[in-house]
Amino acid sequence: MAKRIAIIEDEAAIRDNYAAAFRREGYVVDTYDARPPALSAFETRLPDLVVIDINLKDDVEGGFELCRELRARAADLPIIFLTARDSEFDAVSGLRLGADDYLTKDISLPHLMARIAALFRRLDALQKPQAAATRITRGDLVIDTERMTIHWQEQPVGLTLTEFWLVHALARFPGHVKNRQQLMDAAQAVLDDNTITSHVKRIRRKFLDIDAGFDAIETVYGMGYRWLSD
Amino acid sequence: MNLRRQLLLVSLLTLMLPWAGCEFIRETESALRTGQQQMLAATARALANSMAQYGEEFPRQDATFSTDDQLYIHELAMRPEIDGYFDDWPLRAESLQSIRGVDGPILFAAGSFGQTIYVYVEVSDRNVVYMTSQSLVLDDGPRHADRVNLISNNPPYLQETIAFAAEAPGKILSFKQNAYGIAPEPTVTAHWQDVPGGYRLEAGIPAALLGTHLGLVISNTDDATRPGTRSSSFSGLTPGPTARLSRDIDSIAARLVQPGMRLLITDARGWRIAAAGELREDSTANARPGFTRRLYDLLVESGKEAAFAEPDPLGREQQSYIATALQGREMGSWFRSDKSGKAIVAVAAPIRAGANTLGAVVLQQDTDAILSLTNEGLARLINVTLIATLLVAGTLLGYATWLSRRIRHLSVAAEAALENEALQSSLPSALASDEIGDLSRSFSSVLQQLGDYNAYLKSLASKLSHELRTPLAIVSSSLENLEHEQLSEAGVGYTARARDGADRLRRILSAMSEANRVEELMANVEPEPFDFRKVLESTVTAYRDVYKERSFELQCNLTSANTQGSPELLIQMLDKLVDNAVDFSNRDDTILIRLLTEEDELELSVTNPGPPLPERMRTQMFDPMVSMREGDNARHLGLGLYVARLIAAGHGGHIEADNVDGGVVFRVLLPLRTKG
Repeated sequence: MAKRIAIIEDEAAIRDNYAAAFRREGYVVDTYDARPPALSAFETRLPDLVVIDINLKDDVEGGFELCRELRARAADLPIIFLTARDSEFDAVSGLRLGADDYLTKDISLPHLMARIAALFRRLDALQKPQAAATRITRGDLVIDTERMTIHWQEQPVGLTLTEFWLVHALARFPGHVKNRQQLMDAAQAVLDDNTITSHVKRIRRKFLDIDAGFDAIETVYGMGYRWLSD
Repeated sequence: MNLRRQLLLVSLLTLMLPWAGCEFIRETESALRTGQQQMLAATARALANSMAQYGEEFPRQDATFSTDDQLYIHELAMRPEIDGYFDDWPLRAESLQSIRGVDGPILFAAGSFGQTIYVYVEVSDRNVVYMTSQSLVLDDGPRHADRVNLISNNPPYLQETIAFAAEAPGKILSFKQNAYGIAPEPTVTAHWQDVPGGYRLEAGIPAALLGTHLGLVISNTDDATRPGTRSSSFSGLTPGPTARLSRDIDSIAARLVQPGMRLLITDARGWRIAAAGELREDSTANARPGFTRRLYDLLVESGKEAAFAEPDPLGREQQSYIATALQGREMGSWFRSDKSGKAIVAVAAPIRAGANTLGAVVLQQDTDAILSLTNEGLARLINVTLIATLLVAGTLLGYATWLSRRIRHLSVAAEAALENEALQSSLPSALASDEIGDLSRSFSSVLQQLGDYNAYLKSLASKLSHELRTPLAIVSSSLENLEHEQLSEAGVGYTARARDGADRLRRILSAMSEANRVEELMANVEPEPFDFRKVLESTVTAYRDVYKERSFELQCNLTSANTQGSPELLIQMLDKLVDNAVDFSNRDDTILIRLLTEEDELELSVTNPGPPLPERMRTQMFDPMVSMREGDNARHLGLGLYVARLIAAGHGGHIEADNVDGGVVFRVLLPLRTKG
């Protein structure tokens, strides 16, 4: 059965473009230009994935509000912010509200499709039994490429899709320096230096929350990052 | 010329004060003097009126004789010794009258003491011819000698001559000659003294022997066989009447005169017939120090020299004011002593008897009171002026200092505000209500506007990028959708080009919002300790890979540079500087990256060979949207160095650029924290 994606976006041209692209991939798409119609539609039926713009016409923080309400209703519903707002503060807020990804409108359609596909894949994988073949183990680190989850010292690390792909890219070949371009490619995103820096920072913090002695990601100044394995 | 000097110059205007004071003193002095003169004139007039009643006592004037025919007999205060010397006469040398002789001037004077008339004659004579026993003292004799004849006349009686000739120097016998003949005159004593170039004769003659008209005739011969050439004290055939003090009038004058005044009375021809009273001598108490004295002389009107106020030594008062009085008009004059600066006021008033002028009363008074008054005024003026000038100059200097300090503070504060971008800060004197306050407020407002403009520039980039992002997303997503449609070959090409363009646009927008993101990061950055040297080494290695057409040299005078901050951001800053250095240098140039400790600062510098920075860009180049690049380098929006500055400032440091020999250096100075 075709997956159903809801797009809440006030800019008709973008909405239609995204809808067209999603439909081309075989998804069923519902589009809404504001929060109230979307919410009333979700009363009857929840979509499989939601793409939300933060700024909905006059409702400046409408996207955040919508995300909070949706997350309250369905804990597993993949929610992606797709917005023109590129500030660190907005990104952190969005992710804290439980969004699975925070993307700026710079992202290209193929990248967006890749992410959506990945999210769906993860959803599917969660329903299947764990397959050992999709697991990569690097010391304390366990990566499940199917479910796109990461465990450190057998505890789950709550990473976003972008963060997962970054860790995955680094840890696949421990000791190798991955430069920013390589990391960008792996994360299916066009990110600038500062965004990568803050992503890495966020990843480190998440690991440090579990293990105060975490120091597996090394910054190679001027070049990039590498995963250190014991 | 700074404000202080200007105001000091202005303070010189206080020198107007002494000028005005001097003017005042001068006026006062002259007014007081005029007052005194008027007072004196009133007195003189009164005296002249009262003298008029003694008209009988005034000598009658005889128009047949001129004053040149007249001999003045001085009233001697003591009896002279008959010895051929003038020294013991109580007269000054100026009192000697002079006439022309054959061999030079002949000087003489006549005086009276008691009942004796004294005569002194000094004759220039190259060859003194003495009398012999054969040669009588007569002009018509066979033999001749040098001699002095005293001609005495008592009209209407016949004239008599007392002749003095010497057989030898020393006491001589004189002869009296009249219509009855010639005979020695034993009552006359005379002394003949030879001196180089002539001889001197001094004689004492009983007054009874002499008439009212006296004259001297000096006969000078070079040869006893020839009669001498005559020189006489009178021009006519007979001498005129003698002029002398009138005992009666003199005693009247002595009674009338007041202390401190001098009273002279002359006859109609100006001969002094009475003199009484003395002017006060210059007292030493009045002698002032040289400076004040000179100032005083400059200040007050200079009169005629005081010596001219003295009674005439020859006995005849010839000062013009007296001459005017003798013509019937009252006249004043004044004199000033060179020595003491004291002024002498004089008034001459005619003594009238009917239409005739009998003579003149001359009254003189010194002006001690005026002198001391003006003197005191002058001293006070000097003091007040000095104090006032000092006070005004001091005040103006202080005021100027205060004013220029305020202005300086203002300018320093404005410059500091401009430099530190603290454009909203209040400037000194902002509350003052004067022009400096206005200046300060306009400075503030200019700075404020500049600040607003800068803030606008700063936000412009991020706002613009934000606003353009949505339309760009529309373009990009549309193009990406379009790629999935059936397109002609040409259509595919166009789409690809459009996508390239959109990509470029996206990169530009991303660069434009970089500064904003750096600022955000700076706000949230947690400083971590790190070794700057290690970081640099790793980074420079990376640069060598990236910029293969440049070589990089790293200099570091430290084995390790432990510091604190965000290495990522610092590297990002270095990226901007290196990017800049690469752009402005040529292929195969060496870019020097240097890390030094300077006292308590860490200095990171990037030096590249290349064209020097234009001077006007030196301070602006770190501002947003300022680029030195020209032409095709369109991707630069002038935000790189701005980002570098943001990062440096975020680390408590600052960044600066300088021209060095053949290149440009960018220096980042960071506070050094050697301990973690």
